[in-house]
Amino acid sequence: MTAIHVVGRSNRHLYGDALEQWFRLRHAVFVGERGWTALARPDGRDIDSYDDEHAIYLLAIDAGRVVGGQRLYPTLRPHMISEVFPHLVARDIPAGPTVFEWTRYFVVKERRMGRTDCRLLAALQAFCLEEGITHVTAVVEMWWLPRWQQAGFRAKPLGLPQPVEGQPTVAALIEISEESRSAALRVGGLRPSSLVRHGTGSPQEADHAAA
Amino acid sequence: MTGRGFDHADEAFAFIEKLDAIADSEGVVDAMASSLARFGFENFIITGLPHPRERFEYVVVLRSWPEGWFEIYAREDYVRVDPVIRLCRNTVQPFEWTEAPYDAEQEPRAAEVMRRAADFRMARGFCLPIHGLQGYEACLSMSGIDLDLTARTKPALHLMAMYAFERARQILQPGGLPRSAGLTPRERETLTWAALGKSAADTGEILGITERTVTAHVASACQKLGAANKTQAVARAVQHRLIAI
Repeated sequence: MTAIHVVGRSNRHLYGDALEQWFRLRHAVFVGERGWTALARPDGRDIDSYDDEHAIYLLAIDAGRVVGGQRLYPTLRPHMISEVFPHLVARDIPAGPTVFEWTRYFVVKERRMGRTDCRLLAALQAFCLEEGITHVTAVVEMWWLPRWQQAGFRAKPLGLPQPVEGQPTVAALIEISEESRSAALRVGGLRPSSLVRHGTGSPQEADHAAA
Repeated sequence: MTGRGFDHADEAFAFIEKLDAIADSEGVVDAMASSLARFGFENFIITGLPHPRERFEYVVVLRSWPEGWFEIYAREDYVRVDPVIRLCRNTVQPFEWTEAPYDAEQEPRAAEVMRRAADFRMARGFCLPIHGLQGYEACLSMSGIDLDLTARTKPALHLMAMYAFERARQILQPGGLPRSAGLTPRERETLTWAALGKSAADTGEILGITERTVTAHVASACQKLGAANKTQAVARAVQHRLIAI
């Protein structure tokens, strides 16, 4: 049974093996499959400067095996949109204590039939609702947008699409809501299930006061 | 084609904002007609891509097409031979109609549909394929004669088409449930494992259900896909992107 685990600075020591799998899978997916050659590393692990103590991972784990995941990062700190993709945003870059950047989303190849996607998307909404995060920003290939939308996500474009690594790509602002969470569960035919928070105490994992 | 006196980016953002307040499909058609006209488009359609046993008319979401052309297209079942539709199944990127390949000699019906479309002022076109979750497939295709369709305007049109599609989908399928030939998530899962070479017994073990239940799911999927056996069902499910492997 797949569950979504919250991994942050307070409990990452409990997830050494899962994080190792996650970094390797990221390399396989983003460099190997999608051809983001700028991320290629000889050790076969995709780790960038946003994989620091401020990152929060929501990992889909099934019997010890990572089958998908996503990363959240505070927008009060330099983040990918502000540092790497500012040209994708036509007006102001959304930032604030309740706005997080959502990156490195993927599902492993053999689970790409929708349910694991819906589980991860619902978990993103659930985590943000629990942590008081109102919006997430993301950079996404255009062909992905309808998948989010179909899962009930409300995403506003922040600029016109532009090619990134040869793919039309857009920056978007996504609203967090209970409706989006339940829509993702409904589309995936999933029952609501709690996020797993081993060794994190309570919510407030997100680093709102980062500066 | 420069200097038509409007900013395509502003037009796109204004259009997307306007869509939010629209509550019915006629409203979406009107908003699309007026915004797309600024780029020279006269006709457009939003449609799901029909499965082998589905009729085109039943999967059309909304349209502003010349009436005569819609009748001919449906009657002739052109959707089975239309090179634009074929390319939609095979790419996630928007494309101009001229980029949809066909062999005029080997595929006279493909040549025919393109030629007859031009008789209805649908000489040039731009098409956005949509590939959603769980095999959902659709497209938004727009056309006209004198188009402002350049590397500069295409990103704006791409974004507008994506959001027009989404608004129409929300209005017409408020439950947000994908169309997937009526296959259930379990039916798709069992076909996916079959496509990956797993036996019914293996699949049962993976999914934590009995082999008999797996066989029942596959049989039901065969029936829905009009397939004679598991192999044909897998082939059709892959062909129509109901499953991804």
